Amino acid sequence: MLSAAVEVDRRDFPVCAELAVAPGERLALFGPSGAGKTTILEAVAGLVRPRRAQITLGGRVLTSTEPPRADVPPWRRRVGLLRQDPGLFPHLSVRANLAYGPGADSHGPELDALAARLGIEGLLDAMPARLSGGQQHRVALGRLLLARCDALLLDEPYAGLDASLRRGLTDLVRALVADRRVPSVLVAHELEEAQAFADQLAVLDHGVILQAGAPGEVVRHPASRRVAELVGYLGFVPVTGAVAGIHPERVVPGAQPGRGLVLAGPLTAVRPSGAGWEAELTVAGQPVVCRLPDRPEPDDGQLTVTALEPPLFGPDGTALGQTEQDTSMVSSCRPDGATQ
Amino acid sequence: MSSAASNVAAAGSGVRGDSGPGRRPPAGPGGPPRSPRVVRSASGAISVAAALVIWLALLGPVITLAMHISPGAARAALTSPGALEPLVVSVKSGAVTLAVLLVLGTPLAWLLARGRLPFPRVWEAGLLLVLLLPPLVIGLLLVFMVGPFTPVGHGLAALHLSASNTFLALVIAQVYESAPYYVLGAQAAIGSVDPRLEQQAALLGDRPWRVLRRVTLPLAGPGLAMALAVAWARAMGAFGAVIIVAYHPYGLPLQIWTTLQETGLDSALPFAVVLLVVALPLPLAAYVWSARAQRRRRG
Repeated sequence: MLSAAVEVDRRDFPVCAELAVAPGERLALFGPSGAGKTTILEAVAGLVRPRRAQITLGGRVLTSTEPPRADVPPWRRRVGLLRQDPGLFPHLSVRANLAYGPGADSHGPELDALAARLGIEGLLDAMPARLSGGQQHRVALGRLLLARCDALLLDEPYAGLDASLRRGLTDLVRALVADRRVPSVLVAHELEEAQAFADQLAVLDHGVILQAGAPGEVVRHPASRRVAELVGYLGFVPVTGAVAGIHPERVVPGAQPGRGLVLAGPLTAVRPSGAGWEAELTVAGQPVVCRLPDRPEPDDGQLTVTALEPPLFGPDGTALGQTEQDTSMVSSCRPDGATQ
Repeated sequence: MSSAASNVAAAGSGVRGDSGPGRRPPAGPGGPPRSPRVVRSASGAISVAAALVIWLALLGPVITLAMHISPGAARAALTSPGALEPLVVSVKSGAVTLAVLLVLGTPLAWLLARGRLPFPRVWEAGLLLVLLLPPLVIGLLLVFMVGPFTPVGHGLAALHLSASNTFLALVIAQVYESAPYYVLGAQAAIGSVDPRLEQQAALLGDRPWRVLRRVTLPLAGPGLAMALAVAWARAMGAFGAVIIVAYHPYGLPLQIWTTLQETGLDSALPFAVVLLVVALPLPLAAYVWSARAQRRRRG
């Protein structure tokens, strides 16, 4: 079990978060660039000094700013960190990179078996400069696993790789995390990447975790308008005493009053989007974007669509009539230490 | 040269013709001399020729030395009584200088490279100042700093040491002439090692000294060796500061100077050869090692 409650002072704003990840579980920290996601990972890895923290991993106290104080140095934490730059040692061969950690045998059967599983068995004698981006990530992942890390921290590791490669690597990490029963935390600023990896999603903004829960739940039932904006809601339409959030992918053509909120307004733009179409209409003076499977056919310039079960937000931005969110796995705290 | 020039002129008109409407495909090998390939090969040949001229001009002094020295004169000069003593003095003082630079200069370079010092530009400017000071001026100032009538001189005298016309004075002068080259070179070498690689090594279980041994030094090594080699060459050839604070004991540069003064050019040349033979192998070896390390990393 990885459990961390950290408060880190930064120049712009303090980062303050609590998270708990069970062995074999996968948590994604999702949020915009600069929200403080990487800072949390670096605090867990012991690379930044938190103002206040209590970090434990598998029963070992890694950091404690309360008595009895503890600050285990990075080399004794057994926490693996994989960044966007895989960080292979350029002067060492792939085999030597894989066997870098303590106890890893560079010619042992475990290394060969893992290399085969990672699909890099033919590259063991190559130098890192010869590898493609995807191959470098596989080597870096293998190196962490052979070093017997007790937790896996992934800091946007696949940014810059193409989509199919990213999907393959994500599946591979999911399988390896399940096999090894290590807690893992992924930092992502793309929602699809976070959803593809995680079974818990935490939305972070400005150093604070705004909401946490199952990935699908967080997207369908955002706890606030800000969370809705972060997870892709592009339209906010005033309804009686509230604002309805419209997600472009939660919209169907035509009027279906039993399924949600019927929206009608002048069609202002239509353009291809992926395999379907993206339409923009104006409802109550607000632009609403929706993605539809077929090219929309407006009736006299008017388009009617139905937003499926749109979340409602009050004037202060908080959700109205939301289902109870699961905040047991991840929560956030204010800088003064009070749990939110 | 003239044929190359005519090729360029012809090829230039070809480029103009090709850029118009109805452009023709470029001519293959053996085609008319209008093709872009000819332009490229002609300009390439001119570039190589120009580079060769500059390179030979820079090597001119070495070539001249090889042409002017006769084996007999060299043998006579080097086998005369006491002729090898300056060589021994230079090598000994150079070795001590390198040791001082390694012990004192490397930590400073590391702190600068890793941004661990406040106001880093001030520190760098100080080093640049020492680098830019004329060696003769350094020598003059050293007399006022460590000479026999200064507080430092009195302190040294209490230890039965002197920084005037002694081996110690020679080392001090060499350190001042070579230290900025080493520290700035070492700073660049250490700065070229990505700190994230060191972090990664630590997270994989390496204590700081093991990170240094397994990651930082192997990656910075070629650059550090180059910096050390340049410092060695500077120390071996140190003259301006040395002639003021350490006229004795003679190192090789002073031997060349006094031989030139007393017996003329021909007698000084063999000592110039010795100085080159002593000063150059380390930089050349460092260069070869650095090139091999780069090639190995490229796989």
